[in-house]
Order: sequence, then C-alpha cells, then structure tokens
Amino acid sequence: MLAATLRGMIAHKLRLVLTTASIALGVAFLAGTLVLTDTMGLAFEQLFGKVSAGTDAVVRTQAAYTASEGTSTSRPPIAASVLGDVAKVDGVRAVEGSVSGYALLTDNEGRAVVADGGAPTVGYNMPADVALRGDVDLLSGEAPNGPAEVAIDATSAEENGIALGSTIKVLFQGPPEEFTVVGTVGFGGEKDLGGTTSAYFNTETAQRVLGSPGLFDTIGVGAEDGVSQAELADRLAAVVPADAEAVTGAAVSQENSDAISEDLKFVRVLFLVFAGIALFVGSFIIWNTFTMIVTQRSREIALLRAVGATRRQVLRSLLLEALLLGAAASAVGIGLGLLVAKGLQLLMDVVGISLPSTSLQLEPRTIIVSMLVGTLVTVIAAIVPARRATKVLPVEALRESTPGAERPSKRRAIIGLAILVAGVAGMLANLYGDAPLSVFGIGLLAMMIGVIVALPLAVRPLSSLIGAPITLRGMPGELATQNAMRNPRRTSSTAAALMIGLTLVVSMSVFASSMRASFGDVLSDRLSADLYLTGPSTQSPGFSPSVIDAVAAVPGVDKVSASGFGMARFDDRDAPFTAVDPATAEEMMKLHTSEGSVRDLGENGIMVARSAATSHGWQLGDTVTAAFAASGEHQLRIVGIYDKGWIREDYIISLAQRTAFAGPQLLLMGLVDVAPGAELATVQAAVANALADHPDALVLDHAGYEKQGIGFLDTMLTFVTVMLLLAVLIALLGIVNTLALSVFERTRELGLLRAVGMTRGQVRAMVRWESVVIALIGAVSGAALGIVIGLALSRAMQVFGINTLTVPAAQLALYVALAAVAGVLAAVGPARSAANVDVLRAVVTD
Amino acid sequence: MTLTTGIPRVTTAVAARTVGVSKLYGMGDAAVTALDDVSVDMLEGQFTAVMGPSGSGKSTLLHMLAGLDRPTSGDVYVGPTEITTLKDTALTLLRRDRIGFIFQSFNLLPTMTAAENIVLPMRIAGRRPDAAWVDSIVETVGLKDRLSHRPAELSGGQQQRVAAARALASRPQIVFADEPTGALDSKSGTELLTFLRTAVTELGQTVVMVTHEPTAASYADRVIFLADGHIVNEMHAATADEILDHMKFLGS
Ligand SMILES: Nc1ncnc2c1ncn2[C@@H]1O[C@H](COP(=O)(O)OP(=O)(O)OP(=O)(O)O)[C@@H](O)[C@H]1O
Ligand SMILES: [Mg+2]
Repeated sequence: MLAATLRGMIAHKLRLVLTTASIALGVAFLAGTLVLTDTMGLAFEQLFGKVSAGTDAVVRTQAAYTASEGTSTSRPPIAASVLGDVAKVDGVRAVEGSVSGYALLTDNEGRAVVADGGAPTVGYNMPADVALRGDVDLLSGEAPNGPAEVAIDATSAEENGIALGSTIKVLFQGPPEEFTVVGTVGFGGEKDLGGTTSAYFNTETAQRVLGSPGLFDTIGVGAEDGVSQAELADRLAAVVPADAEAVTGAAVSQENSDAISEDLKFVRVLFLVFAGIALFVGSFIIWNTFTMIVTQRSREIALLRAVGATRRQVLRSLLLEALLLGAAASAVGIGLGLLVAKGLQLLMDVVGISLPSTSLQLEPRTIIVSMLVGTLVTVIAAIVPARRATKVLPVEALRESTPGAERPSKRRAIIGLAILVAGVAGMLANLYGDAPLSVFGIGLLAMMIGVIVALPLAVRPLSSLIGAPITLRGMPGELATQNAMRNPRRTSSTAAALMIGLTLVVSMSVFASSMRASFGDVLSDRLSADLYLTGPSTQSPGFSPSVIDAVAAVPGVDKVSASGFGMARFDDRDAPFTAVDPATAEEMMKLHTSEGSVRDLGENGIMVARSAATSHGWQLGDTVTAAFAASGEHQLRIVGIYDKGWIREDYIISLAQRTAFAGPQLLLMGLVDVAPGAELATVQAAVANALADHPDALVLDHAGYEKQGIGFLDTMLTFVTVMLLLAVLIALLGIVNTLALSVFERTRELGLLRAVGMTRGQVRAMVRWESVVIALIGAVSGAALGIVIGLALSRAMQVFGINTLTVPAAQLALYVALAAVAGVLAAVGPARSAANVDVLRAVVTD
Repeated sequence: MTLTTGIPRVTTAVAARTVGVSKLYGMGDAAVTALDDVSVDMLEGQFTAVMGPSGSGKSTLLHMLAGLDRPTSGDVYVGPTEITTLKDTALTLLRRDRIGFIFQSFNLLPTMTAAENIVLPMRIAGRRPDAAWVDSIVETVGLKDRLSHRPAELSGGQQQRVAAARALASRPQIVFADEPTGALDSKSGTELLTFLRTAVTELGQTVVMVTHEPTAASYADRVIFLADGHIVNEMHAATADEILDHMKFLGS
C-alpha cells in the first residue's frame, strides 16, 4: 500500500508541489516566528548579561512595588553612605555605586544623535573598577575622568563623525552641559548596546547630571576570589539599611531576562497569531486538494474496494499520504522559516521597529513544534475528504461521469447562518449592551466561521454578480462564470482562504482609518494649540523642561502648556497618569471639567476621569491613595472630575507634583498658543530658531503634528499588512491549485471545446476569468466582512478614544482590484495547460 | 450489387479530400501505420459512410479530414483550403466555422442546456445564431420540449440528437460523425440516422460517418471500405444486406 501511495503522489507532480508549498508556507511562518523571537530574546539577554557580567552582588532599595510591565520597575535611590558599610564586609573586593539616566548626545553641529527607531538614549557612570564594568570596554581613548569628560558608544561616534577630543553638548533632564569626548565604548564586541546611544561619565559627574549628588541607583559589589555570589549577598544583607536589600548578580540578570521575556511576549503572541492565520488558510488548500484527489480517484478507490480492499485500508492509504506530505512539507517549511525570520527582521528594520539581533537561533523546540503542527494540520485537513472517499460505492464510481453541477447542502447553510447570527448577536451585545469584551471577541470569531461555513450558499449569487460584466466578453467569460459556480463547495473553500486574508487586511485598515480620523478630530476639538512641541522622534521619551522656558521667551508666543506622562499605582492598581500645567491646562486641553478645577491641584490634589470616578464611586473631595516607585504612598484629594478627550488617562496631577513624587522627568509635549496678531509662520520660525540649542525638541504645526501622531500607527499598519499578505499569498497558491486540478478534471470538456472551435486564446481567457471570479468572490466577501469587523472593532474601542468611524473606500477598492489582478496571475499556469489540452482527448473514449 | 471503380463524379464539387495522406504513430519498430497513402474525395451533398475492421484507420482518416490531427505526409483539403499547413488558430477557426462534429459520446458540455449546446460554436465565434434555421433543425431532430434540459437529464439518444443539431446549426460545409450510433439502441440509432439522411437529402448537407453497422451504412449514398490503412473498395447506394455480404467477402 505504501508503494502505491508514493507512486500516486509522484504521478501528480504539480499537485504535490502546490500542496507542499501551501503547507510549507504556513509552517515557515510558524518556524520563522519562533526563530525570530528566540533570537531577539537571546540578543536582549546577551546585552544585559554583558553589562552586569562582572557584578557579583547588588545592593539596592526595595521597590515600592513591582511594575506589572517589564523592565520599568523603578526604585528609590540608595544613599552613597551605604558604600562605606558595604566596603567593610568581609570578602568584598570592590564596591561602586551606579547611576544611569536620560542623556541625549548631540553631534559637533549640535544636532541630536537619535538612535534608529527611537531606541533609548542613556547616560551611565563608568565604574573605576574594570571588573565591575562587565563587558563594557574602551575601544579607543580613555575612561572619563574629569567633570567635563565623556566616553560615548562607538556607533554614535562613527556615524556622526564625533572625533576624540572634540567637544559636544549633552542634554539631560536638567540643564545641558558641554563635554570633551575622551573615549569610545564597545560592549563585548558590539559597537552599541542594542541600538541605544550611550554616554559614560565619571561617577561624580554622573550623579550630578543623571541623578542627584549623594545618591546612587544601585550599588554594585565585586567579590574576592573564593567567595560565592550567594555568600556575598548573605553577608551584605546583614549590613544594608532596613529599606534596602542585597541580591546576587545572577538574580539581577535573571530579573532582567524575565522582564525581557515579558516584554517580548506581546511580539511573540502577535507573530504566533499571524502564523496561526497562515496555517489556517493553508489548511483550506489542503482540504481542497484532498477533496479533489478523492473525487478524481473515486474510480480507482471503488475499483480497489470492488476487488476487496477494506474501507480501513483505503482510509489508511489516504491518511498515510497526508502524513508523508505533511511531514515533508513541514521540513521544507522549517528551512523556509529561517528565511522568513531574516525577512521579518528586515521588514521590522524597514518600517522602523529596531530590535537587537544576533545570529538566528534554531532551537530543537522550534523544529519539533513546527513538524508536529504542520503534519497534524495536514492530516486533520485530510480526514474528512478521506472518510468521504471510503464511502464511495463501487457503482457510483464506475458510472461514466464528468463532474457536473453540485448543489450546496441546505443543512450546511442553515448551520452556517445560525453561527453567523449568534456571532453578530454576541458582538451587538457587547457594543450596545453590557456584555464583556470577551463576548465581542467570541462573537467576532463565530461570525467569521459562520460566513466560511455558509459561503457555498453565496457562491452562485456572487458568481452571477461578478460574472455579469465578464459574461459580456463572450463565450469564454460565460463558461468561466458557470465553471466557477458549478462546484460551490470547492469554489467557496478556495475563495474562503483569500477571504480570510482580506478580511483581516481590510478590518485593520478600516480600524486604522477610524483611529486616524478620531485622532484628527480630537486634535481639532479638544486641543486649542497653534503649535506643538514634541521630542525628535515619535518614540523618544520626551524633552527637557528647559525647552518650555526657551519657547515661552520667544516673541509672539502667548502661552506654552507643557504636559508629561508617568506610571503609578492608584488604589492598588497600576495606571498611567498625565501631568499638566494647572495654569493653562483647562484652556489649552479643553478638559471639560464637570466638577472642581484643575487649578486646585496644589500639592496633594488629583483629577480623575468621569468614567474612573463612576466605577470607583469617587466624589469630589474623596481621597485616592497613589503609590510612586520613587517616593512611596501619597494621599491625594480629588479636586476635579473631567471627561476624557485629548487626555486618555484616568488621572491628572500637576507637573510640579510629578517632580515631587517621581523625581525629575522629561516632558512629553508642549502646546503653544500664539499671541493674537502674531503671524503663525513667523512665530513657528522663531520657535524653531530658539530650539536650535535644544535638539531634543521639535516644533510642529497642526498638520505636522497630526502626521507625527499617526506615524507610528502607519508603521504598525504597514507591518501588519505585510504579515497578512503572506496569508493572501498562500490563498493565491490555493487558487492555482484548484484551477490546476479543475483543468485536469475537465480535460475532455476542454478537448471538446477546442474541437468545436474554441481557440487557445479563448481557452486561456476562460480559465483566467474563472480565476478572477474566484478571487473576486474571496475579495468582495472579505472586504465586506472586513468592513463590518473593522467598524465593530473601532466601535468596541470607543473607550480608547475612537469616536469617528470611517471606511477608506479608495484603499479597499485598490485591494479588491489587486485581488482580481492576482487572480489573473494565479491563472497563468493552469490556463496554459488548459490551452495545450490535446483536441483528440475529447474524441477518444476510454 | 453495384461494385464501382471509385471514380468520382466530375459534376459534383469536392467538400473535403485527402491526397496521399499517411499517418504513422510511434517510432522505429513500434511504429504503426494507421493510414497508408490514402487519397479520397468527399463530395458535396453526399452522405458517405466509412467502414472497416477495428484498427483499420477509420477514425484516423476522419480526424485528418476534420482538422483534428495532422497527417505524417500528404495533403488534406477542406473545400479549396489546404489545411495541413494552417496554424493552430486558423485550423481552429476553420473547424468552428466550416465543420460540424458528432462523436461517439461526450459531445456536450455538462454545464449547459441542450439549447446552449446547440449554438455553442456560433457563440464561441461571437455570432448570433440564425434562429429560424436553428428552430427548423430542432424541429427536425424532435427536441423541442427538451431544450432547457442539461445533458445529464437527457437519454443517450437525445444527447446524440442534440450533438447532431449542434453539428448542423452553424451550416458547416461538412459534418463528420464517428460511430454516432455506437452507444445507442436501434430505435434511437434509427432516429439519428434518419435525421442525418434528411439533412443530406433535403438540406443538401455533406456528411461523412464512420460506422461498424451495415444498417447504418445503408443510409449513406456511398460506402468506403478501409483495411490496414488502405481504401480497399467502395459501394454506392447499397442496402444493408449488400454491405454485410461485401464485409463477409472482405473478411474471407
Ligand atoms: N494515438 C495513437 N497512438 C498510437 N497508435 C494509435 C493512436 N491512435 C490510433 N492508433 C493506431 O492506429 C491504428 C488505426 O486506429 P483508428 O483509431 O483509426 O482505428 P479505427 O478504424 O477507428 O478502429 P475502431 O473501429 O476500433 O475505432 C490502430 O492500429 C491504432 O492502434
Ligand atoms: Mg475508431
């Protein structure tokens, strides 16, 4: 039986290649995703490992709380006086405090040195003890020593032509200062730390410009030979102050790497979702292929059955075929996966999401998972058609038959419609009732499944509709339309693959366009600014407060309203807050304060959003407990309740409070009001001029700010679309596959058509139009479904500020047109083989 | 019994002819000579039957004349046109516009109704069928009440009559039929043959038909006998018994 199976597979090479390709592509995506996230994880770990390599123990204050997301846990600083106590402990070889913070380098012309993709710009103190530096080593020059010396990462130096000995300005949260570049730094062979820019100062200077004199972030300890990390930490624990702790260097590394995994989890899940989609789409093709294989072989199978093969044997043979195919294709897919990982890396670079990287990591886990998933999906997709095959009665199969029209089953249609209706009901219950978001999600999924199940029902009407203009192109068009609808189940599962891809792409673009429109609306409705101050890139952490003073002094500027952002724990729940300037916020940000006033924030006030107040049952005058990592708990009195508009956070405090609670921080943006009578363009130019000394900030007009604000959205959208296009590509392979098999099935028919006078060109046109009809069924239904889902999704995200629903009609029309073109391309091969069918094949009876 | 010498009547125009046509299949030792230097004229307005033992080259001859296949050597004319040198498209158009076919089976497109199948060649050409003419043919083959049926809903005999109607609907110069009654019972066969005979007698159609059955051949004006790729004889206006006798004579 195995030999027969193998021979059968090899006999249909094209089918084999196409089916293998569709499985392999799905698996490639899965494997690529795993490879890429493993690689990124390792790269991050290497980076952090490099920095903490030489440290055996760390003394630090206990965190007020551990922030739920990743690396952002911040602690109060530790007093420098602890250093002396630690140094006395037995087994300690070296002790040094460490300080790090925001430091933006500028080049010799004073322009900001911005890292790719907005990676952080960080300053550190350079430990005097070489071992405590870890893998940070000087590549040229020497370590910073004096108060006006800096060593910078080699990449920043090379790419910006900053020579040793030259003087550059470095911007901090406090006032900027000038430094002489005395050295360049590398990190265990790399010229930068995962794309970030680094500035190293001597410890005293670092404390002054990055932190506060007399305080350190943490204290690093090196052990004498023969003292283990655990021993050292134990001994240190005895001497550190009550609010501090001593942990091993290994523990700190582990914390870092855990935090990284946590950060990467989102990326990993995102990629796995795409891989799942690709495999799901691929399984339609496998399903289709096996269905057609079985139809074509029904005679052969019936013959086998007639001569005594049991149902089991036939089933086993077909499943064996699926197993072999699945395993082989999965192996190919894993190979392709390495390419996919490389491609994704490139793609992320291109769209501006820059992540550290190392050589590609192919873990055994990746191989096992990919092989299992690919093979299983194939076998499962083959089970139903294979079971159907074994039910073929010998008489049925031996009857002279050409595949004719087939009606979609009523039962299937009813089931599909029922699932669809239930799904829509679930979505509506969330949107207009008070069902939770999870009901919306399940409803959405149900809706898609319902459409897929019921799609055969729509094939006829859709084909007639789409075929109407094609039919005008004469006989080939008419036959194409008929061929597309003669087997609704096959057409629908071929089109469904494309439909899924398009649904996702379209719903993303509808969602994005609604988001964009909402952003534009909120800018004009809820802000009253003439000019906007922002950081140099969308992902920059912000700019120094000194920028505000510089801009306020520009003639023609009436008011500047600064704002910042932060994380704290309010009533035991982590939440972001906005920090504003109480004097100008109400007017410039149109807070829509319904009770109280932002001017009353004072030292211990807080504003809460109406929605948060309602859900917590808060009233004006109530107290909210807010915990800040740097300063612990504060009791804040509610002085105002506002409606969310431009400000999406639940809490507002003043900038002065933020400095008091969380230490000096950067500003995120400034809104500039131009004095009446002053000309906007002139003032903008004057502000830009004033910012020449402040390369960490930009001035933008309304259009410019709108563009920057949605820039990141566009980046994400491009990324997601490119990923989903892979699913579309697989779907197109499915069309090629279906057409190729249909052409093979219809050999006699094609011969007949050629005999009675259809030219090769007409035959090609016929196959091409059929392909276009199938592609358009998928594209049109996908676009329709995508619009519905995109709008529903936007509506569901209303709480996040999406208030305007729009449909990007031109873009959608383009997608549909592209699908039609893709249909034409998919038909090239099958059309050629159809045109080359031997005319006599129709005449000769077997 | 009217044994003639096979000299064509000079008064009648030639609808199709082969001149020294040979067809070889395969190469070297395995080569089969399906037709060996065959020259034959098919006269306009005549019903010609081609007979001969299985494997004698009947179908091959028909395929050559109908432009479905190309000879290894020799020339084939349809009307005045020499077709062996025609390019594929020109040959296809010639089949579409000037030739009608009835095959033994699988004559019809399963997705189309009888009516649609009948006008298929004209629709392929993008021409409007002559409605009166098509009606008269449909009337003659007796398919009026079956026009909206698909092939799967028609009997074998009805299917062959639809095929015959299609072959004649475009007013071809010549109609070729390869064992059109092969899969039919005698009643259906008789209906089809009567129809072809009527087409020749009343409409002046030219028909060339391959058949095994003396009864079928007796509907023809002329019967050509093939054996081993050669034309061995021909008869005119023969009865079924005469043909059967001649076949026995050839067989012995
Ligand atoms: N495609 C082909 N390849 C090889 N040999 C062929 C091919 N077609 C026909 N032949 C051979 O050519 C010869 C003539 O075949 P043809 O089909 O013309 O016979 P026929 O008279 O129509 O027979 P039948 O009455 O059985 O239909 C036979 O020996 C046949 O085996
Ligand atoms: Mg034959």
